[in-house]
Amino acid sequence: MSDRSSSPPRRSREPKASLPADDGRESIPLLLARPAHEPPPSSQDPAALLAGSRRPKTTPPQAPPPLAGIDWTDNPGAVTLRLGKIGFLVGALLLMLSIFADVVASDLPIACKVHGTVFVLPNVTRPHQLETMDRRVLAAEADWTIRPIVAHGPLLAPGDERVPLLAPTSAHPLGTDREGRDVFARVVHGTRSYLVFALAAVFASLALGVFLGAIAGLFGGAADALVGRIVESVSAFPPLVLVLGIQAAVPEPTLLTLFLAIALTRWPEIARLVRGEVMLASTRDYVLAARALGASPLRVLWRHIMPNVRAPLVVAGSVGVSTVVLTEASLDFLRVGAPAGAASWGETMSQFRDAPSAWWLLAFPGVLLVVTIVAYNLMGEALRNALDPRSR
Amino acid sequence: MLAFALRRAIWAIPTLFGVSLVVFLLTTLLPDPEAEAPIASGDVGARVRLEELRRARFLDLPRLLNVAPRDVRVTVDECTAHLVVGDVDARFCEERIARLGGAALPHLLPRLDDIPPAERGRIALALAPVARRMGIGEEADLTQPDRAALFWSRFWEDRSVDFTEPAVRRSVQRITARESDLIEQEIRLVDTFALRELMRSLGTTRDPAALARLTRMAAHVTGRSGVLEPTADRARTRAVVSEWLSWWYVHEADYVVLQGGEKVTASVAQTRYAKWVLGAVTGQLGLSTRDGLPIFDKLLARAPVTLGMALLALLVSSLVGVPIGVLAAWRRGHPIDHGTGAIILLVYSIPTFLVAELLATFGRASGAGFVLPVLALSTVSLSVMAQQQRASMIEVLGQDYVRSARAKGARTLRVVLVHALRNALVPTATIAGVQFPVLVGGAFVVEEVFDVRGIGWETLRAIESHDVAWIVAVTLLCAIVTTACLVASDIAYGLLDPRVRERQTRRQAS
Repeated sequence: MSDRSSSPPRRSREPKASLPADDGRESIPLLLARPAHEPPPSSQDPAALLAGSRRPKTTPPQAPPPLAGIDWTDNPGAVTLRLGKIGFLVGALLLMLSIFADVVASDLPIACKVHGTVFVLPNVTRPHQLETMDRRVLAAEADWTIRPIVAHGPLLAPGDERVPLLAPTSAHPLGTDREGRDVFARVVHGTRSYLVFALAAVFASLALGVFLGAIAGLFGGAADALVGRIVESVSAFPPLVLVLGIQAAVPEPTLLTLFLAIALTRWPEIARLVRGEVMLASTRDYVLAARALGASPLRVLWRHIMPNVRAPLVVAGSVGVSTVVLTEASLDFLRVGAPAGAASWGETMSQFRDAPSAWWLLAFPGVLLVVTIVAYNLMGEALRNALDPRSR
Repeated sequence: MLAFALRRAIWAIPTLFGVSLVVFLLTTLLPDPEAEAPIASGDVGARVRLEELRRARFLDLPRLLNVAPRDVRVTVDECTAHLVVGDVDARFCEERIARLGGAALPHLLPRLDDIPPAERGRIALALAPVARRMGIGEEADLTQPDRAALFWSRFWEDRSVDFTEPAVRRSVQRITARESDLIEQEIRLVDTFALRELMRSLGTTRDPAALARLTRMAAHVTGRSGVLEPTADRARTRAVVSEWLSWWYVHEADYVVLQGGEKVTASVAQTRYAKWVLGAVTGQLGLSTRDGLPIFDKLLARAPVTLGMALLALLVSSLVGVPIGVLAAWRRGHPIDHGTGAIILLVYSIPTFLVAELLATFGRASGAGFVLPVLALSTVSLSVMAQQQRASMIEVLGQDYVRSARAKGARTLRVVLVHALRNALVPTATIAGVQFPVLVGGAFVVEEVFDVRGIGWETLRAIESHDVAWIVAVTLLCAIVTTACLVASDIAYGLLDPRVRERQTRRQAS
């Protein structure tokens, strides 16, 4: 089991050049269709020119079904690429939002002058004398203030009115939740906890997956068998169930245990991917040549094999972010995820179950969640198209 | 073909072993009660309670290898040593010897004469509760050290013949067959020495009257509750019997002697891991701390709900997803294809709980029962099924035989539905097998939203009340279902596609 065909059987079908599906309109090219074993026609190919005015089409070999459910390979790249750009843009915007969450929504101003002292970015540094000050007093006594877009933080600040389940108003653009906390601020700050968390979890799983996958692929034999068994064993658990189990089993579930649990469920996929790529690359002539020239195994791995793995890893990472965000939101929704009080979309949405008339609790975090997942999926899809020539 | 299926099934064994290790590691994450509340060694009651807590999770055993497995003889030796020295553990050991009772006597009484008189008296006094349980001896015989020592020496002279396995087995067989005060008296006199046989009969007998007698005897010698009334219904009978058997599973080593080969197997079997795995395999998953019911029975009651829901959802998503995939492949590049592609992407990206919540909010008035949860759950696999169907359909439509069929003049509809679809369904059918466990995972969320009482709903309640036994059992169940589905899906793929079968057989042979 040392070749590519050791991946699951449904993925190991030999690539076949195939004709596009024919419906009634396209019956003429059918007669001139090339035999399947001939190389695909290029644009200079006379046979292709004979096929009429239709642009010569070659259907790509069947890649494994893409995760995001889009495979508009009929026009390779174009649609996907455009959507991927949108996805990338939205993803970057979300990342910006998470970085500048304090500027967008905070109970403290961006800058202000109180009692003769100028505070710069107190919403980030949170100086003690402002932190404990009643916010209405602060507003009244400040000489001047630059306020954030929404003047509420994800938690209730001293002096804040506790108005639970308030429908969207100008002061609370997305309403308030059951504790009277501003939904807009919680959603914005939730972006931070979700994206930072997801990126960290993805990086952790990438590190572990690459390490073990490279070991399995490089050394083969017993190491491969061992890693293979571990991968199979861990991926035998539905991810959500395993994370639930770990969160329930540890004495004190924290964000760290959640992080470890999610990273634990993600790495087998990465390891499988890396192992396959490393094994494939190891048989290539340039790797043999490097070995023959006396390069150390580590150098061969790093300089000659890893560049092949990088592209699929970027794709897996991008899709992984959306998966982790989804898992975390589901756990928060079930109230077994983030610790109480932390800003999280899932937690806000879970409040909707107790207050079914407060639609804003479900709608806004829900939309943002779907947008995030779609964005990262589209990005992953476009990256797959752009970076991984084999799947095109 | 059978060989192929068998080979694939055997390949799952290492995976199952790994799965059991992962879940076992999960249980070791749990805090050790000893570490949580250190107890003064003088407080005997608290120490006994703590020991019980730890033993229920086999924390007294080493993890993977037991070099010196304990049996009643080892325990008695240790306790005797402590009592002779009279150290801090002495009171704890007194309590323990009283609890071991009749099973300890064959290892204690013959050696009583070798012990100096003062210590002999102390040990004999520790045995007083055993004599009271047996209903023998006068109070003065039991409470004065030298008289007690004499009493027990005499007891052993008279009664050592009764402390043999065949004799006890015969007695227990008789009491199982019919009511008899005389034999009950006999069993009382050997005390806990009869437990092994009592438990053996308890596990094999179905007769409620016999079970009532057996549980009465067991409760008497152990001082535990759990006597079955002869009029108890089936559920109560099952609960009590399984409670006794799981107690025995934990405490067996206290009352039996390991002989010869048993010692070797015990070095593996008397470990935390082996005890846990064997318990799981035989359905001894312990008791739920939330409501005191046997975990196994609860699983039997809850799992069909979840698995049934997942199966229905799989059916629905296939019935909807396959036509979508076929349509998209047939009209490839057409707006229909792009439209369905967009829908598929959206359905894939909307979290299950959001779908469920929306359906629950807008559909609650209709009171559709099982329909809405199944619908919500089916969105989990809908997009994957449609996508897979589209991809395999595109591939098949490009193949030679499809072209031949068209060249011979078959109508488009016939080519798509008869010639192409049959082959294009094969990968989708196998994907369905892999999707099943994903649906089981999704069911956890859906059950919570719709308040469906399946394993997911139960698990979330268990997390709230820290019912660890249940969580471990559910995690294990899910992993086993997943592995089984994977194996089934691979076998089905081989069944439906001879090329795959050949390739796999060749690969595994090489």
